[in-house]
Amino acid sequence: MVAERLWELWSDGYFLPSLKATLTRMSIGFGMSVVIGLIFGLAMGTSSTINQSLKSLFLGLQTLPTVAWVPISILIFGVKDNDNGIYFVIVMSSMASVAISTADGIANIPPLYLRAAQTLGTSRWAMGWRVIFPAALPSIVTGIKLGWTLGWHGAVSAELIKGTAGIGFLLHMGRELNDMSQVVGIMIITIMMGLLLDRFLFGTIERRIRQRWGLERSH
Amino acid sequence: MEIDPKKQSSSEVLSLELPVKPAKVSLLGTTKAFATRKGIIDALQPTTLEVREGEFLVLVGPSGCGKSTLLNLIAGFDAPTSGQVLVDGKTVTGPGYDRMVMFQEHALFPWLNVIDNVIFGLKRKRKLTRADRREVARYYLDLVHLTKFENAYIHELSGGMKQRVALARALAPNPRILLMDEPFGALDALTRERLYGQVQEIFARTQKTVIFVTHNVREAACLGDRVMVFTQRPGRIKREITLNLSRPRAFNDPAVSEYAAQILIELKSELEGEEVLYDEENQLHRNAVLPLPDHFLADGI
Repeated sequence: MVAERLWELWSDGYFLPSLKATLTRMSIGFGMSVVIGLIFGLAMGTSSTINQSLKSLFLGLQTLPTVAWVPISILIFGVKDNDNGIYFVIVMSSMASVAISTADGIANIPPLYLRAAQTLGTSRWAMGWRVIFPAALPSIVTGIKLGWTLGWHGAVSAELIKGTAGIGFLLHMGRELNDMSQVVGIMIITIMMGLLLDRFLFGTIERRIRQRWGLERSH
Repeated sequence: MEIDPKKQSSSEVLSLELPVKPAKVSLLGTTKAFATRKGIIDALQPTTLEVREGEFLVLVGPSGCGKSTLLNLIAGFDAPTSGQVLVDGKTVTGPGYDRMVMFQEHALFPWLNVIDNVIFGLKRKRKLTRADRREVARYYLDLVHLTKFENAYIHELSGGMKQRVALARALAPNPRILLMDEPFGALDALTRERLYGQVQEIFARTQKTVIFVTHNVREAACLGDRVMVFTQRPGRIKREITLNLSRPRAFNDPAVSEYAAQILIELKSELEGEEVLYDEENQLHRNAVLPLPDHFLADGI
Protein backbone atom coordinates (compact mmCIF):
# COMPACT_ATOMS: atom_id res chain seq x y z
CA MET A 1 0.00 0.00 0.00
CA VAL A 2 2.76 2.34 0.95
CA ALA A 3 4.75 1.48 -2.16
CA GLU A 4 1.64 1.90 -4.27
CA ARG A 5 0.97 5.34 -2.89
CA LEU A 6 4.58 6.36 -3.38
CA TRP A 7 4.41 5.20 -6.96
CA GLU A 8 1.24 7.24 -7.46
CA LEU A 9 2.93 10.31 -6.06
CA TRP A 10 5.85 9.67 -8.37
CA SER A 11 3.72 9.27 -11.51
CA ASP A 12 1.51 12.25 -10.56
CA GLY A 13 4.65 14.36 -10.61
CA TYR A 14 4.41 15.34 -6.96
CA PHE A 15 7.28 13.41 -5.60
CA LEU A 16 10.36 14.52 -7.53
CA PRO A 17 9.69 18.28 -7.40
CA SER A 18 9.06 17.98 -3.66
CA LEU A 19 12.27 16.09 -3.05
CA LYS A 20 14.14 18.56 -5.21
CA ALA A 21 12.64 21.50 -3.33
CA THR A 22 13.67 20.11 0.06
CA LEU A 23 17.18 19.23 -1.12
CA THR A 24 17.65 22.66 -2.68
CA ARG A 25 16.53 24.34 0.54
CA MET A 26 18.83 22.06 2.48
CA SER A 27 21.87 22.80 0.34
CA ILE A 28 21.36 26.56 0.52
CA GLY A 29 20.33 26.65 4.18
CA PHE A 30 22.92 24.18 5.32
CA GLY A 31 25.63 25.90 3.25
CA MET A 32 24.86 29.14 5.09
CA SER A 33 24.84 27.26 8.36
CA VAL A 34 28.28 25.75 7.76
CA VAL A 35 29.78 29.12 6.84
CA ILE A 36 28.26 30.85 9.88
CA GLY A 37 29.14 27.93 12.16
CA LEU A 38 32.75 27.92 10.96
CA ILE A 39 33.10 31.64 11.55
CA PHE A 40 31.70 31.35 15.08
CA GLY A 41 33.73 28.23 15.76
CA LEU A 42 36.94 29.87 14.58
CA ALA A 43 36.28 32.89 16.78
CA MET A 44 35.50 30.65 19.73
CA GLY A 45 38.53 28.47 19.13
CA THR A 46 40.97 31.35 18.96
CA SER A 47 39.61 33.58 21.72
CA SER A 48 38.80 32.19 25.14
CA THR A 49 36.64 35.22 25.95
CA ILE A 50 34.40 34.59 22.97
CA ASN A 51 34.41 30.88 23.77
CA GLN A 52 33.30 31.43 27.33
CA SER A 53 30.50 33.75 26.38
CA LEU A 54 29.16 31.74 23.44
CA LYS A 55 29.75 28.12 24.35
CA SER A 56 26.99 27.71 26.91
CA LEU A 57 24.62 29.66 24.67
CA PHE A 58 25.30 27.29 21.78
CA LEU A 59 25.08 24.23 23.98
CA GLY A 60 21.74 25.54 25.17
CA LEU A 61 20.56 26.09 21.62
CA GLN A 62 21.33 22.48 20.86
CA THR A 63 18.94 21.25 23.54
CA LEU A 64 16.09 23.05 21.80
CA PRO A 65 14.17 20.68 19.50
CA THR A 66 14.54 21.87 15.91
CA VAL A 67 10.78 22.13 15.48
CA ALA A 68 10.75 24.79 18.21
CA TRP A 69 12.36 27.19 15.73
CA VAL A 70 9.33 27.05 13.44
CA PRO A 71 6.94 29.32 15.38
CA ILE A 72 9.53 32.05 15.82
CA SER A 73 10.53 31.80 12.19
CA ILE A 74 6.88 32.33 11.21
CA LEU A 75 6.70 35.34 13.49
CA ILE A 76 9.84 36.83 11.99
CA PHE A 77 9.42 35.93 8.33
CA GLY A 78 5.66 35.44 8.07
CA VAL A 79 4.01 32.68 6.05
CA LYS A 80 4.74 34.34 2.72
CA ASP A 81 5.69 32.22 -0.21
CA ASN A 82 9.43 32.42 0.16
CA ASP A 83 11.97 30.14 1.77
CA ASN A 84 13.65 32.57 4.15
CA GLY A 85 11.81 31.17 7.13
CA ILE A 86 12.88 27.65 6.25
CA TYR A 87 16.51 28.72 5.82
CA PHE A 88 16.30 30.34 9.22
CA VAL A 89 15.10 27.10 10.82
CA ILE A 90 17.82 25.08 9.10
CA VAL A 91 20.57 27.48 10.13
CA MET A 92 19.38 27.76 13.72
CA SER A 93 19.08 23.97 14.06
CA SER A 94 22.48 23.06 12.70
CA MET A 95 24.79 26.03 13.14
CA ALA A 96 25.54 25.45 16.83
CA SER A 97 26.84 21.92 16.30
CA VAL A 98 29.21 23.07 13.55
CA ALA A 99 30.42 25.95 15.71
CA ILE A 100 30.95 23.86 18.83
CA SER A 101 32.82 21.07 17.10
CA THR A 102 35.01 23.59 15.25
CA ALA A 103 35.84 25.31 18.53
CA ASP A 104 36.54 21.97 20.24
CA GLY A 105 38.65 20.82 17.31
CA ILE A 106 40.79 23.94 17.54
CA ALA A 107 41.07 23.71 21.32
CA ASN A 108 42.27 20.11 21.08
CA ILE A 109 45.08 20.71 18.59
CA PRO A 110 48.28 19.40 20.19
CA PRO A 111 50.44 22.44 21.07
CA LEU A 112 53.37 20.57 19.53
CA TYR A 113 51.94 21.11 16.03
CA LEU A 114 51.75 24.83 16.64
CA ARG A 115 55.31 24.94 17.96
CA ALA A 116 56.59 22.94 15.03
CA ALA A 117 54.80 25.24 12.63
CA GLN A 118 56.22 28.27 14.42
CA THR A 119 59.80 27.12 14.03
CA LEU A 120 59.13 26.32 10.39
CA GLY A 121 58.45 30.01 9.84
CA THR A 122 54.69 29.93 9.43
CA SER A 123 53.07 33.33 9.18
CA ARG A 124 49.94 34.21 11.10
CA TRP A 125 47.69 33.75 8.11
CA ALA A 126 49.32 30.49 7.07
CA MET A 127 49.01 29.24 10.64
CA GLY A 128 45.22 29.44 10.42
CA TRP A 129 44.90 28.06 6.95
CA ARG A 130 47.67 25.48 6.82
CA VAL A 131 47.81 24.29 10.43
CA ILE A 132 44.80 25.16 12.59
CA PHE A 133 42.13 24.39 9.99
CA PRO A 134 43.52 21.04 8.80
CA ALA A 135 44.41 20.01 12.35
CA ALA A 136 40.82 20.66 13.47
CA LEU A 137 39.28 19.18 10.32
CA PRO A 138 38.34 15.73 11.68
CA SER A 139 36.35 17.37 14.44
CA ILE A 140 34.85 19.93 12.04
CA VAL A 141 33.64 17.19 9.70
CA THR A 142 32.05 15.34 12.61
CA GLY A 143 30.21 18.54 13.52
CA ILE A 144 29.07 19.07 9.96
CA LYS A 145 27.77 15.52 9.81
CA LEU A 146 25.79 15.99 13.01
CA GLY A 147 24.64 19.41 11.83
CA TRP A 148 23.33 17.90 8.61
CA THR A 149 21.04 15.54 10.53
CA LEU A 150 19.76 18.36 12.71
CA GLY A 151 19.31 20.64 9.72
CA TRP A 152 17.38 17.92 7.91
CA HIS A 153 15.04 17.66 10.90
CA GLY A 154 14.63 21.42 10.79
CA ALA A 155 13.91 21.54 7.07
CA VAL A 156 11.21 18.88 7.22
CA SER A 157 9.64 20.43 10.34
CA ALA A 158 9.53 23.86 8.75
CA GLU A 159 7.99 22.52 5.56
CA LEU A 160 5.24 20.84 7.55
CA ILE A 161 3.89 24.23 8.46
CA LYS A 162 4.84 26.67 5.80
CA GLY A 163 5.92 24.88 2.65
CA THR A 164 4.14 24.75 -0.66
CA ALA A 165 6.35 21.95 -1.86
CA GLY A 166 8.82 19.62 -0.23
CA ILE A 167 9.04 16.47 1.78
CA GLY A 168 7.47 18.05 4.84
CA PHE A 169 4.66 19.45 2.70
CA LEU A 170 3.86 15.98 1.36
CA LEU A 171 3.68 14.74 4.95
CA HIS A 172 1.33 17.57 5.79
CA MET A 173 -0.78 16.81 2.72
CA GLY A 174 -0.98 13.16 3.73
CA ARG A 175 -2.35 14.16 7.10
CA GLU A 176 -4.91 16.53 5.56
CA LEU A 177 -6.11 13.79 3.24
CA ASN A 178 -6.13 11.29 6.09
CA ASP A 179 -3.82 9.13 3.96
CA MET A 180 -1.77 6.83 6.22
CA SER A 181 0.12 5.24 3.32
CA GLN A 182 1.37 8.60 2.12
CA VAL A 183 2.48 9.65 5.60
CA VAL A 184 4.35 6.42 6.24
CA GLY A 185 5.80 6.40 2.73
CA ILE A 186 7.14 9.92 3.04
CA MET A 187 8.54 9.15 6.49
CA ILE A 188 10.45 6.24 5.00
CA ILE A 189 11.72 8.48 2.19
CA THR A 190 12.82 11.09 4.74
CA ILE A 191 14.79 8.52 6.69
CA MET A 192 16.34 7.13 3.52
CA MET A 193 17.45 10.52 2.22
CA GLY A 194 18.92 11.52 5.54
CA LEU A 195 20.73 8.22 5.87
CA LEU A 196 21.95 8.24 2.28
CA LEU A 197 23.58 11.63 2.53
CA ASP A 198 24.93 10.96 6.00
CA ARG A 199 26.53 7.66 4.99
CA PHE A 200 27.62 8.31 1.47
CA LEU A 201 28.50 11.98 1.40
CA PHE A 202 29.64 12.97 4.89
CA GLY A 203 30.51 9.44 5.94
CA THR A 204 32.89 9.07 3.00
CA ILE A 205 34.57 12.40 3.65
CA GLU A 206 34.97 11.57 7.31
CA ARG A 207 36.37 8.12 6.58
CA ARG A 208 38.88 9.51 4.08
CA ILE A 209 40.19 12.00 6.61
CA ARG A 210 40.39 9.45 9.36
CA GLN A 211 42.27 7.05 7.13
CA ARG A 212 44.75 9.71 6.08
CA TRP A 213 45.39 10.56 9.71
CA GLY A 214 45.74 6.90 10.60
CA LEU A 215 42.84 7.07 13.04
CA GLU A 216 41.12 4.23 11.24
CA ARG A 217 42.47 1.28 9.29
CA SER A 218 42.06 1.57 5.56
CA HIS A 219 40.41 -1.31 3.75
CA MET B 1 79.67 19.44 0.72
CA GLU B 2 79.46 17.47 -2.47
CA ILE B 3 76.33 17.80 -4.53
CA ASP B 4 75.03 15.34 -7.04
CA PRO B 5 75.40 17.09 -10.43
CA LYS B 6 71.98 15.82 -11.52
CA LYS B 7 70.41 17.91 -8.81
CA GLN B 8 71.95 21.19 -9.93
CA SER B 9 69.25 21.94 -12.46
CA SER B 10 68.06 25.08 -10.72
CA SER B 11 70.38 27.70 -9.39
CA GLU B 12 67.89 28.62 -6.67
CA VAL B 13 67.81 25.07 -5.47
CA LEU B 14 71.57 24.91 -5.58
CA SER B 15 71.90 27.98 -3.38
CA LEU B 16 69.67 26.29 -0.84
CA GLU B 17 71.81 23.23 -0.74
CA LEU B 18 75.04 25.08 -0.24
CA PRO B 19 76.27 25.09 3.33
CA VAL B 20 75.22 28.14 5.28
CA LYS B 21 77.54 29.76 7.73
CA PRO B 22 76.77 28.12 11.04
CA ALA B 23 75.83 30.48 13.83
CA LYS B 24 77.26 31.14 17.24
CA VAL B 25 74.97 30.85 20.25
CA SER B 26 75.76 32.63 23.49
CA LEU B 27 74.03 32.59 26.83
CA LEU B 28 74.99 35.29 29.29
CA GLY B 29 73.87 34.69 32.87
CA THR B 30 70.63 33.26 31.57
CA THR B 31 68.07 32.07 34.13
CA LYS B 32 64.55 30.75 33.88
CA ALA B 33 61.95 30.39 36.60
CA PHE B 34 58.41 29.11 36.17
CA ALA B 35 55.45 30.07 38.27
CA THR B 36 53.49 26.99 39.25
CA ARG B 37 50.73 26.28 41.73
CA LYS B 38 53.35 25.31 44.28
CA GLY B 39 55.21 28.55 43.89
CA ILE B 40 58.10 29.62 41.75
CA ILE B 41 60.36 26.88 40.45
CA ASP B 42 63.89 27.73 39.41
CA ALA B 43 64.42 25.71 36.27
CA LEU B 44 67.73 27.19 35.28
CA GLN B 45 70.33 28.88 37.42
CA PRO B 46 72.51 31.59 35.89
CA THR B 47 74.14 29.90 32.93
CA THR B 48 76.84 31.27 30.73
CA LEU B 49 77.65 29.24 27.71
CA GLU B 50 79.18 29.73 24.31
CA VAL B 51 78.39 27.39 21.44
CA ARG B 52 80.88 27.75 18.64
CA GLU B 53 80.03 27.92 14.95
CA GLY B 54 79.52 24.44 13.58
CA GLU B 55 79.86 22.76 16.94
CA PHE B 56 77.89 19.71 18.03
CA LEU B 57 77.07 20.45 21.65
CA VAL B 58 75.31 17.89 23.81
CA LEU B 59 73.46 18.75 27.02
CA VAL B 60 73.17 15.83 29.46
CA GLY B 61 71.46 15.78 32.81
CA PRO B 62 68.90 14.13 35.02
CA SER B 63 65.22 14.58 34.23
CA GLY B 64 63.91 18.02 35.01
CA CYS B 65 67.37 19.59 35.20
CA GLY B 66 66.58 22.42 32.85
CA LYS B 67 68.32 21.19 29.73
CA SER B 68 65.11 21.27 27.70
CA THR B 69 64.33 24.65 29.24
CA LEU B 70 67.64 25.89 27.93
CA LEU B 71 66.82 24.56 24.47
CA ASN B 72 63.41 26.25 24.52
CA LEU B 73 65.08 29.54 25.39
CA ILE B 74 67.41 29.26 22.42
CA ALA B 75 64.51 28.18 20.20
CA GLY B 76 62.64 31.28 21.32
CA PHE B 77 59.58 29.47 22.69
CA ASP B 78 60.24 30.95 26.13
CA ALA B 79 61.85 34.18 27.20
CA PRO B 80 64.59 34.07 29.87
CA THR B 81 63.71 35.38 33.34
CA SER B 82 67.01 37.21 33.41
CA GLY B 83 70.18 37.26 31.38
CA GLN B 84 70.48 37.06 27.64
CA VAL B 85 70.24 34.56 24.82
CA LEU B 86 72.15 35.64 21.74
CA VAL B 87 72.47 34.15 18.29
CA ASP B 88 75.40 35.74 16.48
CA GLY B 89 75.24 38.61 18.93
CA LYS B 90 71.54 39.28 18.37
CA THR B 91 69.01 38.76 21.14
CA VAL B 92 66.52 35.96 20.52
CA THR B 93 62.99 37.36 20.59
CA GLY B 94 60.97 34.42 19.32
CA PRO B 95 61.06 31.32 17.15
CA GLY B 96 63.10 31.97 14.05
CA TYR B 97 63.71 30.52 10.66
CA ASP B 98 67.44 30.27 11.38
CA ARG B 99 66.83 27.83 14.24
CA MET B 100 65.00 24.62 13.51
CA VAL B 101 63.79 22.41 16.33
CA MET B 102 63.42 18.65 16.36
CA PHE B 103 61.21 17.41 19.17
CA GLN B 104 61.09 14.16 21.08
CA GLU B 105 57.80 13.41 19.36
CA HIS B 106 58.06 13.74 15.63
CA ALA B 107 55.52 16.61 15.41
CA LEU B 108 54.86 15.79 11.75
CA PHE B 109 51.49 16.89 10.40
CA PRO B 110 49.19 13.89 9.90
CA TRP B 111 47.12 15.68 7.26
CA LEU B 112 50.11 15.95 4.93
CA ASN B 113 52.09 13.18 3.32
CA VAL B 114 55.84 12.80 3.81
CA ILE B 115 57.06 15.12 1.09
CA ASP B 116 54.46 17.80 1.84
CA ASN B 117 55.63 17.78 5.44
CA VAL B 118 59.16 18.51 4.28
CA ILE B 119 57.89 21.13 1.82
CA PHE B 120 55.92 22.82 4.63
CA GLY B 121 59.02 24.56 5.96
CA LEU B 122 59.94 25.80 2.48
CA LYS B 123 56.75 27.80 1.96
CA ARG B 124 58.51 30.84 3.38
CA LYS B 125 61.02 30.78 0.53
CA ARG B 126 58.94 32.84 -1.85
CA LYS B 127 61.47 32.77 -4.67
CA LEU B 128 61.17 29.04 -5.11
CA THR B 129 58.67 27.62 -7.55
CA ARG B 130 56.54 24.66 -6.64
CA ALA B 131 58.88 22.36 -8.56
CA ASP B 132 61.94 23.81 -6.83
CA ARG B 133 60.46 23.17 -3.41
CA ARG B 134 59.70 19.61 -4.36
CA GLU B 135 63.24 19.17 -5.57
CA VAL B 136 64.73 20.55 -2.38
CA ALA B 137 62.44 18.33 -0.31
CA ARG B 138 63.51 15.29 -2.35
CA TYR B 139 67.14 16.17 -1.78
CA TYR B 140 66.70 16.12 1.99
CA LEU B 141 64.53 13.02 1.92
CA ASP B 142 67.36 11.40 0.00
CA LEU B 143 69.73 12.47 2.75
CA VAL B 144 67.72 10.47 5.27
CA HIS B 145 67.17 7.64 2.75
CA LEU B 146 63.41 8.01 2.53
CA THR B 147 62.71 9.08 -1.06
CA LYS B 148 60.73 5.88 -1.62
CA PHE B 149 58.24 6.98 1.00
CA GLU B 150 57.60 10.52 -0.21
CA ASN B 151 53.93 9.85 -0.87
CA ALA B 152 53.27 7.85 2.27
CA TYR B 153 51.18 9.23 5.09
CA ILE B 154 52.77 9.72 8.48
CA HIS B 155 50.91 6.94 10.27
CA GLU B 156 52.23 4.47 7.73
CA LEU B 157 55.83 5.00 8.86
CA SER B 158 57.73 3.39 11.71
CA GLY B 159 58.95 5.45 14.65
CA GLY B 160 62.49 5.71 13.28
CA MET B 161 61.26 6.72 9.85
CA LYS B 162 59.07 9.42 11.36
CA GLN B 163 62.06 10.91 13.14
CA ARG B 164 64.06 10.81 9.92
CA VAL B 165 61.29 12.70 8.13
CA ALA B 166 61.29 15.18 11.02
CA LEU B 167 65.04 15.56 10.57
CA ALA B 168 64.62 16.12 6.82
CA ARG B 169 61.91 18.69 7.54
CA ALA B 170 64.16 20.52 9.99
CA LEU B 171 67.09 20.48 7.57
CA ALA B 172 65.19 21.52 4.44
CA PRO B 173 64.97 25.28 5.16
CA ASN B 174 68.74 25.07 5.66
CA PRO B 175 68.82 26.60 9.15
CA ARG B 176 72.07 27.69 10.72
CA ILE B 177 71.26 26.07 14.02
CA LEU B 178 69.61 22.74 14.67
CA LEU B 179 68.10 22.22 18.12
CA MET B 180 67.33 18.61 18.98
CA ASP B 181 65.36 17.81 22.11
CA GLU B 182 65.83 14.09 22.86
CA PRO B 183 64.88 13.32 19.27
CA PHE B 184 65.61 9.61 19.58
CA GLY B 185 64.40 9.11 23.13
CA ALA B 186 61.26 7.25 22.09
CA LEU B 187 62.99 4.86 19.68
CA ASP B 188 64.27 1.37 20.28
CA ALA B 189 67.99 0.84 20.79
CA LEU B 190 68.66 -0.75 17.41
CA THR B 191 66.95 2.00 15.42
CA ARG B 192 68.74 4.61 17.50
CA GLU B 193 72.11 3.09 16.78
CA ARG B 194 71.49 3.21 13.05
CA LEU B 195 70.38 6.82 13.27
CA TYR B 196 73.57 7.92 15.03
CA GLY B 197 75.49 7.02 11.90
CA GLN B 198 73.11 9.00 9.72
CA VAL B 199 73.13 12.01 12.00
CA GLN B 200 76.93 12.13 12.01
CA GLU B 201 77.06 11.83 8.25
CA ILE B 202 74.50 14.61 7.82
CA PHE B 203 76.24 16.77 10.39
CA ALA B 204 79.49 16.42 8.47
CA ARG B 205 77.80 17.33 5.20
CA THR B 206 75.55 20.19 6.22
CA GLN B 207 77.84 21.95 8.70
CA LYS B 208 75.40 23.34 11.21
CA THR B 209 75.63 24.32 14.81
CA VAL B 210 73.80 21.57 16.65
CA ILE B 211 72.57 21.64 20.24
CA PHE B 212 71.39 18.21 21.28
CA VAL B 213 69.59 17.35 24.51
CA THR B 214 69.65 13.80 25.83
CA HIS B 215 69.83 11.76 28.99
CA ASN B 216 71.57 8.90 27.26
CA VAL B 217 75.29 9.10 28.02
CA ARG B 218 76.30 6.76 25.22
CA GLU B 219 74.39 8.90 22.74
CA ALA B 220 76.13 11.98 24.11
CA ALA B 221 79.58 10.41 23.76
CA CYS B 222 78.84 9.14 20.29
CA LEU B 223 77.61 12.44 18.84
CA GLY B 224 79.04 15.40 20.70
CA ASP B 225 82.08 17.59 20.20
CA ARG B 226 81.50 18.87 23.68
CA VAL B 227 79.22 17.56 26.41
CA MET B 228 77.75 19.71 29.17
CA VAL B 229 76.64 17.83 32.26
CA PHE B 230 73.85 19.49 34.21
CA THR B 231 73.11 19.35 37.92
CA GLN B 232 69.78 18.54 39.49
CA ARG B 233 67.12 21.18 39.45
CA PRO B 234 67.68 24.02 39.75
CA GLY B 235 69.89 23.23 36.80
CA ARG B 236 73.28 24.61 36.14
CA ILE B 237 76.22 23.36 34.13
CA LYS B 238 78.31 21.17 36.39
CA ARG B 239 81.00 19.99 34.08
CA GLU B 240 82.16 20.40 30.55
CA ILE B 241 83.73 17.43 28.78
CA THR B 242 85.47 17.89 25.46
CA LEU B 243 85.55 14.77 23.32
CA ASN B 244 88.73 14.40 21.35
CA LEU B 245 87.49 11.74 19.00
CA SER B 246 87.53 11.59 15.24
CA ARG B 247 84.37 11.16 13.22
CA PRO B 248 82.51 9.11 12.24
CA ARG B 249 82.34 7.37 15.56
CA ALA B 250 80.98 3.89 16.00
CA PHE B 251 78.45 3.40 18.74
CA ASN B 252 80.43 0.49 20.18
CA ASP B 253 83.85 2.09 19.88
CA PRO B 254 85.81 1.56 23.16
CA ALA B 255 86.89 5.20 23.15
CA VAL B 256 83.24 6.23 22.99
CA SER B 257 82.48 3.88 25.86
CA GLU B 258 85.24 5.41 27.90
CA TYR B 259 83.83 8.90 27.47
CA ALA B 260 80.36 7.57 28.17
CA ALA B 261 81.60 6.10 31.43
CA GLN B 262 83.18 9.41 32.34
CA ILE B 263 79.92 11.27 31.68
CA LEU B 264 77.99 8.68 33.64
CA ILE B 265 80.23 9.06 36.67
CA GLU B 266 79.56 12.79 36.63
CA LEU B 267 75.85 12.17 36.40
CA LYS B 268 75.79 9.54 39.09
CA SER B 269 77.70 11.59 41.58
CA GLU B 270 75.14 14.26 40.92
CA LEU B 271 72.32 11.88 41.74
CA GLU B 272 73.87 10.27 44.80
CA GLY B 273 74.92 13.39 46.55
CA GLU B 274 71.61 14.75 47.62
CA GLU B 275 67.92 14.33 47.80
CA VAL B 276 66.58 13.44 44.40
CA LEU B 277 63.45 14.95 43.03
CA TYR B 278 61.95 12.69 40.41
CA ASP B 279 58.37 13.83 40.15
CA GLU B 280 56.48 16.43 42.02
CA GLU B 281 54.97 13.67 44.17
CA ASN B 282 57.73 11.12 44.44
CA GLN B 283 60.70 12.06 46.49
CA LEU B 284 63.48 9.55 46.74
CA HIS B 285 65.86 10.00 49.59
CA ARG B 286 69.59 9.74 50.03
CA ASN B 287 71.01 6.33 49.21
CA ALA B 288 67.70 5.20 47.82
CA VAL B 289 69.02 6.05 44.41
CA LEU B 290 69.36 3.70 41.47
CA PRO B 291 72.17 1.23 42.00
CA LEU B 292 73.17 1.53 38.36
CA PRO B 293 75.73 -1.05 37.23
CA ASP B 294 78.46 0.50 35.16
CA HIS B 295 78.12 -1.93 32.29
CA PHE B 296 74.63 -0.61 31.70
CA LEU B 297 75.95 2.56 30.16
CA ALA B 298 73.65 2.89 27.19
CA ASP B 299 70.57 3.29 29.29
CA GLY B 300 71.84 6.37 30.99
CA ILE B 301 69.87 7.76 33.84
